[in-house]
Amino acid sequence: MGKAGGGDRQNLGGVVGTMSLLRNIAVGLRSLFRKEQERQELDEELTGFLEMAAEEKMNQGMTRKDALRAVRLERGNLEVSKEEVRSSGWESFVETSWQDLRLAARMLRKSPGFTAVAVLTLALGIGANTTIFSLVNGVLLRPLPYRNPSRITMMWEKSRDGSPENVGYATYLDWKSQNKSFEEIAIYSSWQPVLQVGEPEQLSGLRVTSNYFRTLGIHPEIGRDFLPEEDVPNANKVVMLSHSLWQRKFNSDPNIVGKPINMNATQYIVAGVLPARYQSLMNQDPRGGAVEIWRVLGYDASQPWACRSCHHLVAIGRLRDSVAIPQASAEMDTISAALSKAYPKEYDDIGVILTPIREQLLGPASTPLYILLGAVSFVLLVACANLANLLLARATYREREVAVRTVLGATRGRIIRQLFVENCVLGLLGAAAGLIPAYWTPKVLASIGAGDLPRLDQVHLDWQVLLFTLGVALLTSIAAGLAPGYRLSKNDMHDSLREGMRASGSVASRRLRGLLIVSEVALSLTLLIGAGLLLRSLGRLLVVSPGFDPANVLSMQTSVLGQRFNDNAVVRQYFADVVERLRALPGVQSAAAASQIPLAGNMDKYGFHVEGKMHANPEEDPNAERYCITPGFLESMRIPLLRGRDISPADTATAPQVLLIGETTARRMWPGEDPIGKRVKLGGVDKPWWTVVGVTGDVHHFGLDADPDMQMYIPHQQWPFPDGLMVFVIRTASTPTAISSAAQEAIHSIDTTQPISRIMPLESYVGLSVQGRKFALILIGAFAAIALALSLVGIYGVTAYSVGQRTREIGIRIALGAQPGELLGLLLRQGMLLVACGVITGITASLVLTRFLATMLFDVQPTDGLTFVSVVLLLFAVSATACFLPARRVMRIDPMVALRYE
Amino acid sequence: MPDKPSDLVQGTLDMLILKTLALESMHGYGIAVRLEQMSKGVFRLNAGSLFVAFQRLQRAGLIRGEWKSTENSRRAKYYVLTDQGRKRLTSETREWGRQVAAIARILEAS
Repeated sequence: MGKAGGGDRQNLGGVVGTMSLLRNIAVGLRSLFRKEQERQELDEELTGFLEMAAEEKMNQGMTRKDALRAVRLERGNLEVSKEEVRSSGWESFVETSWQDLRLAARMLRKSPGFTAVAVLTLALGIGANTTIFSLVNGVLLRPLPYRNPSRITMMWEKSRDGSPENVGYATYLDWKSQNKSFEEIAIYSSWQPVLQVGEPEQLSGLRVTSNYFRTLGIHPEIGRDFLPEEDVPNANKVVMLSHSLWQRKFNSDPNIVGKPINMNATQYIVAGVLPARYQSLMNQDPRGGAVEIWRVLGYDASQPWACRSCHHLVAIGRLRDSVAIPQASAEMDTISAALSKAYPKEYDDIGVILTPIREQLLGPASTPLYILLGAVSFVLLVACANLANLLLARATYREREVAVRTVLGATRGRIIRQLFVENCVLGLLGAAAGLIPAYWTPKVLASIGAGDLPRLDQVHLDWQVLLFTLGVALLTSIAAGLAPGYRLSKNDMHDSLREGMRASGSVASRRLRGLLIVSEVALSLTLLIGAGLLLRSLGRLLVVSPGFDPANVLSMQTSVLGQRFNDNAVVRQYFADVVERLRALPGVQSAAAASQIPLAGNMDKYGFHVEGKMHANPEEDPNAERYCITPGFLESMRIPLLRGRDISPADTATAPQVLLIGETTARRMWPGEDPIGKRVKLGGVDKPWWTVVGVTGDVHHFGLDADPDMQMYIPHQQWPFPDGLMVFVIRTASTPTAISSAAQEAIHSIDTTQPISRIMPLESYVGLSVQGRKFALILIGAFAAIALALSLVGIYGVTAYSVGQRTREIGIRIALGAQPGELLGLLLRQGMLLVACGVITGITASLVLTRFLATMLFDVQPTDGLTFVSVVLLLFAVSATACFLPARRVMRIDPMVALRYE
Repeated sequence: MPDKPSDLVQGTLDMLILKTLALESMHGYGIAVRLEQMSKGVFRLNAGSLFVAFQRLQRAGLIRGEWKSTENSRRAKYYVLTDQGRKRLTSETREWGRQVAAIARILEAS
């Protein structure tokens, strides 16, 4: 019928060409609802037609009986004609589809075991895919919250080693005035003000040029944008609030614009509030929380920190519509070359690096996400193969049902359609079940630590995800149903009816089932190897010593606030006092403060100019990570002192300037020499000398997987601009969090107005630094487990099926004297042969595919032999079990029963 | 079998029905007989194909049906050509002529 309907619609397209589609729909709907009346009319009309034909024949002298018979031959049978007419309109398609749907539901209800396994298989495959897709969709596919984001690029100076570097203000001014490629160029730097509204709170913020929001294409929701006349020194006290800050701290006050707010003991005026949908992605510190406040930069070229080599500003530009990136890049390189020629001492290389903003913000996240997407599609393929296997087994048992329906007049198309509808129902049930885990995706992901991913808050179920799920569900169930459907529909009904209930697995379908098992095993093996490699990497990484002992250390951050801290001596004394109070707390073994701590995502480097080894252009001298510390820091962190002495309270502001250096610094700057007593200048060549008094072990500053770089430790008492933002590290005898409140009280006992933030055990920072890897491992491990479980179900099913099919043959063999043990061996060999084929395919695929994992591996080759061997052994062991359990049944086959088995 | 409508050039059945109705309204059997007479027995139509065509043409608004009694006082559904159907017949006839002429030219040329 499906075929007939299709043909007629073509005809319709021929003569009736531009027929009114609407009329057709209206008539079709009417006949759906007035089915009975339509049927009667057609009945009457057709009967009349045949009667008239018969009458004419009778007029020619035939008897009525002969006439009716002749008419039937000439004009066709009444019932057949009726069916033909009725089935020609589209509405009949709807009607029969509804019948198919009900039949499908009935069939599935009749075999609950099959339905449960099939739906579960699909739910696992679809659920995993929906989860990962919603992640990819939220993080990568959703457009960035800027106007025309493809036109925005980050702009970096090129450093000597070719890596991107921040710009100085003077360079920015030249770029801005000389270029013709950009509509706007803006710059920003990070800013951490303490908001004094209610409980003092340290915010994450940015200082930006007045054209910053214009460059991004964002308009304040209320209030106004920054003005150029505000972006100058001494006039730069206006701020923009994020929607969330406005709600959180100001109760969504509609009259906030123009009001003063206090930050860092200074008054700022609110210029506006940004729209809620705009969430800043420009956060340089992944652990600092989202940016919630912006203030104008307020620089001018005369300021000392506006110099060309003061690389602390990030530039961002909006390209003109007509300009492509290579074109802009070429122009900027020309400008850079001219600047370098004019100021040779200020630049260490020529060139400007343009990075599209999308790549800058989402690039690092995209590789792991696409790997996950690839891995999860393997799970879907395994689920699909498994479902196909189930359907094939079921098809064998349904041959008779299909044969009966064929005899009763169902066409092949109609039967295929019925099977198709059944599969779609399965797919939809699977999708519904698979959506359940996807609904909790954001929570689940957060709990297993996906915190490093940008825009995680954008991950939720929306229509795109639902559409994806629906598509995947239908595609999977239809693909899985192709082979069994084809097999059933070309089924020879005579054979099926004659053979009765005895299933007849053809050679072709046995081969197909084998092939499906092979591919399931191969896919699972590939996933298992991937998970194995990640597991080995994490294992290797977790034994890497960070260079300090994080156990039992609590860290908390504070920054000084108030007019009185304008005096350097007060700042120094304040921190010394707090450290004293902390040390006095019961249970505290040692305490100290530092301007930054390792693995916490801070970055603070200073030029390191060694006496007698300086470059002609000091810009070419290396940089070292600067830790400005109070005495006792090494002890609290348990960073080993390798040579010389630690800094002590005697290294005061008036004492000779001293510093400690890391092992790498010593090795790189003074190879084969004793660094103790050597002198360096820090930051600039016009500064006073510092003397090395000690060498410490290296610490991993950026991550356990990153090699330690040059490091130095400077007494807080001696640094000319003592840091106001410091992190306390407190080593305790037992659980570090237990002293958290006592420590905060100790700080507030000196000054109650000081904000305290990021109260965290050091071990959490170590955990955070590996959480991205854990995240990938947990997900890929879960996918591998699902795929393995599905494959085992497949192997079990195929063996069980094969035993069931061959009961009679096995009975004969036993009767003829075969040992059950031999037969068991035969079945196991057959099953394991399939597994072996799958393993070989899987290894081949893995050798090709694991290289994509390379960036996520640590200290493990993508072709790591140990991983490959252990995974293969594991797979063989569990497959052998899955094969053995059903095969064992042959041991219990009684030949007499088996021969009667029909 | 040459008398089967499926051997008609696709879509021509619809055009022939329109042509038959151009002179007067007719019931289904009348149309069948008229087509057979006009084609001198070349086309013999079975009820199924004919009624499928009626349904199709009705839905396209080219013909409409009304129940009347026949000369033998039997109730029958008579089909009437609508204005739209008349227009369609004219355009289809013109198109048909054009195509036949074109095909004839091709056949003669070889």
